[in-house]
Amino acid sequence: MLALNLLINGLVTGCALGVVAVSFQLAYSTTRIFHVAHAGIYTLAGYLAFSMVERGLPDPFAIIIAALICAALGALIQYALYATLERRRASHLSVLIASLGVLAVIQNVISAFYSPNIIPFTSAWRGQMMSLGLTEVQVATLIVCLAVFAAALLFARLTPLGKRIRAVASNPFLAEITRLRPQQTYIIVMAIASAMVAIPGALVAMDLGLQPYNGTTVLLTATIAVIAGGIGSLTGAFALAVLITVLQNLSLLAISGEWSVGITFFIFLIFMLFRPTGLFAQR
Amino acid sequence: MDFLFSYLTLVAIFIILSLSTNLLVGIVGIFSVSQAAIFGLGAYIVGYCLVNDVMSFLPALAVAALASLVLNVLITLPSLRVSGDYFVVTSFGIQLLATAAFTNLTEITGGASGMPGIPPAEFFGLSFDSGFKNFLLAAIAATIASLWFALLMRAPFGRLLRAIREDELAVAAFGKNVLFAKVRAAAIAGVMAGAAGGLYAVYLSFIDPTTFDLNASVLLLTMVVLGGARTLAGSIVGPLVLLALPQLLTFIDIPTTTAAAVRQGIYGLLLILFMVFRPQGLVGEKL
Repeated sequence: MLALNLLINGLVTGCALGVVAVSFQLAYSTTRIFHVAHAGIYTLAGYLAFSMVERGLPDPFAIIIAALICAALGALIQYALYATLERRRASHLSVLIASLGVLAVIQNVISAFYSPNIIPFTSAWRGQMMSLGLTEVQVATLIVCLAVFAAALLFARLTPLGKRIRAVASNPFLAEITRLRPQQTYIIVMAIASAMVAIPGALVAMDLGLQPYNGTTVLLTATIAVIAGGIGSLTGAFALAVLITVLQNLSLLAISGEWSVGITFFIFLIFMLFRPTGLFAQR
Repeated sequence: MDFLFSYLTLVAIFIILSLSTNLLVGIVGIFSVSQAAIFGLGAYIVGYCLVNDVMSFLPALAVAALASLVLNVLITLPSLRVSGDYFVVTSFGIQLLATAAFTNLTEITGGASGMPGIPPAEFFGLSFDSGFKNFLLAAIAATIASLWFALLMRAPFGRLLRAIREDELAVAAFGKNVLFAKVRAAAIAGVMAGAAGGLYAVYLSFIDPTTFDLNASVLLLTMVVLGGARTLAGSIVGPLVLLALPQLLTFIDIPTTTAAAVRQGIYGLLLILFMVFRPQGLVGEKL
């Protein structure tokens, strides 16, 4: 019974993490920037939703508005920081360090404004139990995150904008010549990725509460899923995120929870040794 | 006067750490956010050995340096195999794992409440029990590390490392062993960070996991970025300025609960601003 509970919990958290991984995949495979600050946006979304719910806004609206604000922030980071650095021909290392700087700023502004400690999310429906030991908010997380993943897949395959993003991702130079305007595309991609990551950010916060520095571990696990799934593959990122989280949850049967980072990391090292290109590599 | 010595002692210890980070990030060009983990390993080994009377200070420091060397080489090895971005994941992972280990191996490290009562350093019949003596010890260590760094930079090995950062393939084409050079640099960086950890443990006589977490790694990176990469002066200016910052912040009236967050936020802001406006730092070369 415990194993079943852990499995189901793993599936729910895994779907939330899957959306984080897919959004990171979208940003990373297009802009080629290892966008560490993504973890900050994930965390920020939870706090934004929390503040709005506290002021009496219904939960769904709070999530949508949080996603919009995060989209604007993501676009701003690309426009004001990453694009500037690229114009100045900054090295890859510099961009990475700047991104880490953004993460530190977001996390600590949150910590200073709210609290460095965990804040429970008091939402009307979060405690409601349903069958299989799931709470309502967990069921909502599962459904919404699967829907977001499906929407992301359809968007990338079918819409003109999705095709444009894939074109820029596969060859920015050629895209520049054919007037696809890579720089503008990067801003759009970062906005979309940030809006996407805000949804699990807010939903998981409603379930588990808010903590300013949690995002780093979440993003680390998501990036491991991205790499293990294969750079460029949205399905790979999502599937591996679910798999890793389920394995992590099941490992609780044998190993205590504090070491779950170790389990994730162990999976990563195995992939690095035996299949460094990932399971679903596209190139 | 005591206050000045405590500031200078910390500066000296962080100069060693900055040099270690500079060697990896600035010179070899490996992004690392796990230097604080190595620092912590050194501190905990020396702390554990002295508290439990396993051995005296100098052998403990040697063991700490050796263990840090091995760990740092092991951490850096993936960066030789996989491309840059994958190593970022390794680096973050090691740092989070180290924090988990420091916090949860309660029998050895004392867990989240830390390891108190580490005795002062003692060797050759000398006891480093006052602020001034500790400062001398740290200053001597920092001088040795600085000399080592300066000599390395002038030696053929230093030029080889710079060349690797510029163009790894070209260096390999000249018949140089890139892998071995990187392993050597990582080993030196590990010894420095581990020794700095040992000095930190005997100086403060108390260590806890928050000193060696991801925030500490970000601080080390900020020191290198602010001071400037690849120069000795940069690694001295960085700690001098950034360790004075918490003291300056005490003049502003902010509650102690948010002080740490404000400080870390400023480090982050400095990282962004320096990368955009002055990637060479105050007295360094372009990163």
